[in-house]
Amino acid sequence: MAPLTIQQATKSFGGVQVLHGVTIDIDDGEFVVLVGPSGCGKSTLLRLIAGLEDITSGGILIDGKDVSRLHPKDRDIAMVFQSYALYPHMTVAENMGFSLRMRGAKSDEQRRKVGQAAGILDLDALLDRYPRQLSGGQRQRVAMGRAIVRDPKVFLFDEPLSNLDAKLRVQMRSEIRTLHKKLKTTIVYVTHDQIEAMTMADKIVVMRGGHVEQIGSPMTLYDAPANVFVAGFIGSPAMNLLKGRIGADAQSFDLDAGGALQFTSALDARPGQSVILGIRPEDVTLSDNGSPATVKLIEPTGADLHVNLDVAGSDITAVFHERLSLKEGQEVSLELPADCVHLFDAETETRLSA
Amino acid sequence: MVRWQRGLWLFFLPSFGLLALVLLWPLSYAVYLSFFDYYLGSGERTFIGLGNYVDLLTEARLWNSMRTTIIIAFGSVAVEFLVGFALALALYRLHGSAKVFSVLLFLPHIVTPVVAALFLKWMLASNWGFVDATLLTFNIEPPDWLGDPVWAKVSVILADAWVFTPLVMMVLYAALQGLDTSLLEAAQIDGASSWNTLRHVIVPALIPAIIFVISIRLMDVFRFFDLIYVLTGGGPGTATETITIYTYQLGFRMLEVGKASALGVITLIVVAMLLLTINRGLNKAYRGGDR
Amino acid sequence: MSAQSYPGRRRTTWVIFIALCVFTFINLTPLIWAVLTSLKDPRDAFTIPPTIIFEPTLKYHIEVWTENDFVFYLMNSLIISAGTVFISVPAGSLAAYALSRIPRRSAGPILSALFTIRMFPHMLLAIPFFVMGTFLNMIDTYPLLILALVAINQPFTIWLMHGFFLEIPRDLDEAAAIDGCSNWQAFRIVILPLARPGMTVAALFSLLLSYNEFLFALILTGTDTKTLPVAIASFGGEDISSWSLSAAGAIGIMLPIVLVMLLLQRHLVRGLTAGAVKG
Ligand SMILES: Nc1ncnc2c1ncn2[C@@H]1O[C@H](COP(=O)(O)OP(=O)(O)OP(=O)(O)O)[C@@H](O)[C@H]1O
Ligand SMILES: [Mg+2]
Repeated sequence: MAPLTIQQATKSFGGVQVLHGVTIDIDDGEFVVLVGPSGCGKSTLLRLIAGLEDITSGGILIDGKDVSRLHPKDRDIAMVFQSYALYPHMTVAENMGFSLRMRGAKSDEQRRKVGQAAGILDLDALLDRYPRQLSGGQRQRVAMGRAIVRDPKVFLFDEPLSNLDAKLRVQMRSEIRTLHKKLKTTIVYVTHDQIEAMTMADKIVVMRGGHVEQIGSPMTLYDAPANVFVAGFIGSPAMNLLKGRIGADAQSFDLDAGGALQFTSALDARPGQSVILGIRPEDVTLSDNGSPATVKLIEPTGADLHVNLDVAGSDITAVFHERLSLKEGQEVSLELPADCVHLFDAETETRLSA
Repeated sequence: MVRWQRGLWLFFLPSFGLLALVLLWPLSYAVYLSFFDYYLGSGERTFIGLGNYVDLLTEARLWNSMRTTIIIAFGSVAVEFLVGFALALALYRLHGSAKVFSVLLFLPHIVTPVVAALFLKWMLASNWGFVDATLLTFNIEPPDWLGDPVWAKVSVILADAWVFTPLVMMVLYAALQGLDTSLLEAAQIDGASSWNTLRHVIVPALIPAIIFVISIRLMDVFRFFDLIYVLTGGGPGTATETITIYTYQLGFRMLEVGKASALGVITLIVVAMLLLTINRGLNKAYRGGDR
Repeated sequence: MSAQSYPGRRRTTWVIFIALCVFTFINLTPLIWAVLTSLKDPRDAFTIPPTIIFEPTLKYHIEVWTENDFVFYLMNSLIISAGTVFISVPAGSLAAYALSRIPRRSAGPILSALFTIRMFPHMLLAIPFFVMGTFLNMIDTYPLLILALVAINQPFTIWLMHGFFLEIPRDLDEAAAIDGCSNWQAFRIVILPLARPGMTVAALFSLLLSYNEFLFALILTGTDTKTLPVAIASFGGEDISSWSLSAAGAIGIMLPIVLVMLLLQRHLVRGLTAGAVKG
């Protein structure tokens, strides 16, 4: 249990720079999720923290102490691998006790701590089995067990759920959450699944191409994405992003693709300004007088209705919670509440106002 | 290397220490010896620079052994490749029963080479050998398989082929099994004949394996010793004397270790050049032919 | 393949099957002939036409192992082969493990270099071994031949083991490092137990290579350390008066190898291409 600080961390493989000065402050006991598209450097950052890769420049502080030049075993971290990396020739108990054994713990202490961890994770019945005799979910839990027996300062998870089926993933998600509530250990958790990030994190770090795009609580990221990338990445279905110009009355929006959108109140920007306008699918509603649109595709998910609409040549997705009887090809008009609109600078793609 | 893995360099020590001691040092010593006129019988040793090389390159026996080596090498590798490839294709075609065949066909390769040579010698022995005894039964006068200069070369080539065809077969068979079957199916759907499938689909896909197996066979043929030593000892006369056998005669019969070392160095250079040429040639033929 | 049921295809398959049967049989005649010879009394061995049906005798098989020195040669062969394996496989495995864990760009050149060593004519190594052996008075001793065999064996062992170690995920090393292992501990406690099947295969291949080796054995051994291949070459190569006896010896030498090879079947291609059992 300790705060973790990453200062201006960079990493190059040969001549290729993969991380470009990443700075993140993580408080004691915080659950931090790193998200981003594939190849953005999440695993690399995690492995830098673990000491499995050498940092090129910058620092990593655990509990105020710079550990960036230490051997992984001396950093007091534990890691759960995507592949679980359980030792195939050791039983569950031996796997879980291994780090204690390597640190010279007595065998009754090992047994006690393994027993404790097994109790927490509901593994008591499996202690004598070998990894190959376990299901995917059980292996996952053993991997976590191996991490928690040591009571390290920081837990590192690299996409721990990606090898599980959808149902189990949801279940493990809440188990890990519960575990964190119980142990209150700092966690850095890597995933490329934004739903995992939203549901689990105290704090989300969105990364792209080796840069940090935004750091904040899930709701901050959802309500006030700092730029177009974060806006498109967080939320499902993704936010509608439209290029265009604010109309002269600030109540309309001229799309670059042609046509215009109408708003009931003024948009918070200069008339004539070039912007990217974002609106979440769940903020789009139907009304009698709004922007005209055509229904292109209807996808019922059961709870919700996802509708693809054509508005003056641009695609807009809407999510409706009520059961509407729409038909493909039907003409409707959309209401886009101006206070739900996110505006981004067309050039820099950063958020214009709070 | 990553910091936590630095300790791995130590893992190289035992092996590389051994290699330095038992491989690099002796090899450099051999190169060093090649510059001396050194008769081990008397222990007299005089530095003669490139004298041994000049001697060797100007004498007929070296060129003769070089020619013999090349005839035997290319003859046997050609036989091995053609037969081995045919067998590999046959095994691939049979799949189910291939396992039994592959084990039986492999037997000649796993026998100790000296023992394999003896087996063949007993086949070819005059009069009472299986071949002669069979031919004589039908009143056919057999040639002297191991005593006639031409037949001796043929026998050696066939002997080498007997032992090494299975290896070629196995490597190509393994490569065939690694082929993407959708490739073959696509060719069949396109209506390609078997021959065209072989030529335009299978062979190009196998090029790496083919280059590999021909290269290792040529390397080995140049240093293979046991078979010829037991079968003909290089005879009759010097009819089957390869460079390797000649080196053996020089070094261990005549005890001219300086000259023998020089010949070893020459062999090494020849093999290296040969392999380079072959790799280039095959690579080019493959790239050029397929576009 | 799905096309297999066409009648034409099936006929070709039969033709191939029969051709393969015939070829296999002809190909194995030398072996069959040697087996038959080893079971023959002289009156059956020296005949025209060759006798196929005769009353077999195990006399020569028994004689070659009891009245000749073959048991002694076998002991030499075993001591030398075992010595080679015990030096070559552990050292080679350590190097192979490290090779499989360091970055590709460092490992690549080392592997190519090792592969190139295959190219060296063994004669070029035999000469200095013979000269130094003479100076050090080590000709006809076990260590000298063992060292020579280690020299030709080591690159092969490293190649083979490298392949096996590559199959063990690096995640395990990393997990071990985080759990508190040094490189050595990770190797010994986590990786080695998983590599054991591979090491067995490497050991068996090295054993075969040493057992079959002829050139170095011929040059570096004498009356005290002569190995089986050298013995049978001088015994059976000269004349054929004791034909059945040498055939029995040859078959006896061959049998254990056939057994080992059957054990190794699954790994044959890999082992043979990594460095060949012969040559
Ligand atoms: N050992 C390495 N050598 C060279 N390049 C590497 C190495 N490891 C990672 N990279 C590169 O660094 C970049 C970031 O990789 P990283 O594995 O951190 O991505 P990631 O965000 O974890 O992606 P994913 O979601 O696919 O796991 C990638 O472009 C990758 O190709
Ligand atoms: Mg990753």
